[in-house]
Amino acid sequence: MSTIAALTKPQILNLYRQYIRTAKDFTSYNFREYFLRKARRDFRLYKDQIKTEEDALAKFNMIREELAILKRQSIISEMYTFDKLVVEPIKTPK
Amino acid sequence: MFRTVLKQSAIIAKQQQKSLLFKTATTGINTGALRFYSAASTLSKDDITKRVIDVVKSFDKATAAKENITAQTTFHKDLGLDSLDTVELLVAVEEEFDIEIPDKVADELKSVGETINYISSNPEAN
Repeated sequence: MSTIAALTKPQILNLYRQYIRTAKDFTSYNFREYFLRKARRDFRLYKDQIKTEEDALAKFNMIREELAILKRQSIISEMYTFDKLVVEPIKTPK
Repeated sequence: MFRTVLKQSAIIAKQQQKSLLFKTATTGINTGALRFYSAASTLSKDDITKRVIDVVKSFDKATAAKENITAQTTFHKDLGLDSLDTVELLVAVEEEFDIEIPDKVADELKSVGETINYISSNPEAN
């Protein structure tokens, strides 16, 4: 993280947290798991890739825009019902 | 004729707006089970401890020291999680207890014990 000076670590972690929370809102298993995988992969990848501050800021803004799309789409996904896939565990009430 | 059509669509739009308002007003009240804040939290500390440890155990990235997780277990040192993993684990904990841990608090949580303490202090956890 030392390469990213303009952006603080909490800022990036907060973005990651929001991304994961939003991904978990998807009702469809396929979308939900895909975006969780994508979040994990992208953040780790960028952590190693990014060398300059401008680069970091550009990526940060790109993910922020992605997050906005994700938020809208997760809301849309909540408007429809999806049948559970066979791979999904059935949640038992606590 | 054109004018009447316009008028009608305006009326419909108004009605829709009204019904929308009504809907948001009602759903605003009925989110989740109703519990009075004067009532003490029903969660016992043992209960919270057990559930937090269960979440940590089922978190697939926590590799080391999986058998004996206690309140003293720290995310970074004992479980080998980096900062991104920790964020992910805390989101899983949030989901388990139906709460949202504020960013400032979540950045400070570094061990299982601290997480348990925060949840027991949060009246919304269930």
